[in-house]
Amino acid sequence: MNIIWTSLTIICLCVLLVTNPNLAFNALIDGSEKAINLGIKLWAIYAVWLGILQIIEDTQLDKKIANLLNPLIKYLMGNQHPETNKQIAINITANFLGMGNACTPSGIKSINLLLKNKKKATNASIMFLILNTTSLQLLPTTVIGLRLLNNSTNATSIILPCFIATLCSTVIGIILCKICSKFYKDEN
Amino acid sequence: MISDYIVPAFIIAIILYSIFKKNNTYNSFITGAKSSFDLIITTIPYLVAIFILIEVFTISGLSNNISNALSPILSVFGIPKELSELIILKPFSGSGSLAVLENIFNTYGVDSYISKCACAVVSSGETIFFVSAVYFSQTKIKNLKYGIPVALIANFLGAVVGCFFCRFI
Repeated sequence: MNIIWTSLTIICLCVLLVTNPNLAFNALIDGSEKAINLGIKLWAIYAVWLGILQIIEDTQLDKKIANLLNPLIKYLMGNQHPETNKQIAINITANFLGMGNACTPSGIKSINLLLKNKKKATNASIMFLILNTTSLQLLPTTVIGLRLLNNSTNATSIILPCFIATLCSTVIGIILCKICSKFYKDEN
Repeated sequence: MISDYIVPAFIIAIILYSIFKKNNTYNSFITGAKSSFDLIITTIPYLVAIFILIEVFTISGLSNNISNALSPILSVFGIPKELSELIILKPFSGSGSLAVLENIFNTYGVDSYISKCACAVVSSGETIFFVSAVYFSQTKIKNLKYGIPVALIANFLGAVVGCFFCRFI
């Protein structure tokens, strides 16, 4: 990100220097102002949603859902240690409920457990990565919130296309992964 | 519309479950809401950086050039060319995608077809390069074999299908 951001900003500023130098500093302040405004909107959304997610966590509802996932995990990633299964289940549930913060710790733990004593990435670990990058999410809460705060007349209308998008990416990811894993056998 | 009922029904169900479990719902909500402060404090610097980039990228005219270059490819898949910035940025930065999304809402109107497609693109998946870097950070493994290409293709196709369904709402 460092290289991309720095080089793109420099290129754009150089172009501006040639074409429209008086706009350059304006652009920086304008951009920053928009960022702060968006930040406040996001804060409102996160405050509500993190509150609700905390209720889910405190009632152990997420653990309940996680327990239901064991057969699915077995199908996708083969037989793994029970502790590995547990971390994977917590991670997938957190993804599904949109608990962004809870995904990362369980995700790192799962990868560490999946790749214990391994020198190369295994098919199971790549499948797990794909499940996280395509991240099947029940409700696009941030997107709905942003639409509301921008005075949308029907903020929730995008729930269905958003769900179809995330469902398709996940299913396609799983299929492609299964196909590729036929060509890349795990080495011991 | 049935979608109007989904979010409130989801929230009511959680609160009822919490009452049933004799959990202190109010305290849980406050604890969660409090953590939004830390989250937003860490997010805002990233938003500032990416918005500055979007701003100079747009007024320098480079954004327009790239959109025009990409539009034939995107139109084959039925994605509006106005989303090219979003498509490029999405795998690299989550807060950046939200910044572009907000920008699209403001430019084209939040209820426009373009904005709805942008929502589908944002929802299609996670920030691929960020997730793969963080998750594998504690292992020494650098080579993810087919992982990244599969992730990119899956998210892109998910976005394509999502955009297609935006035509009907």
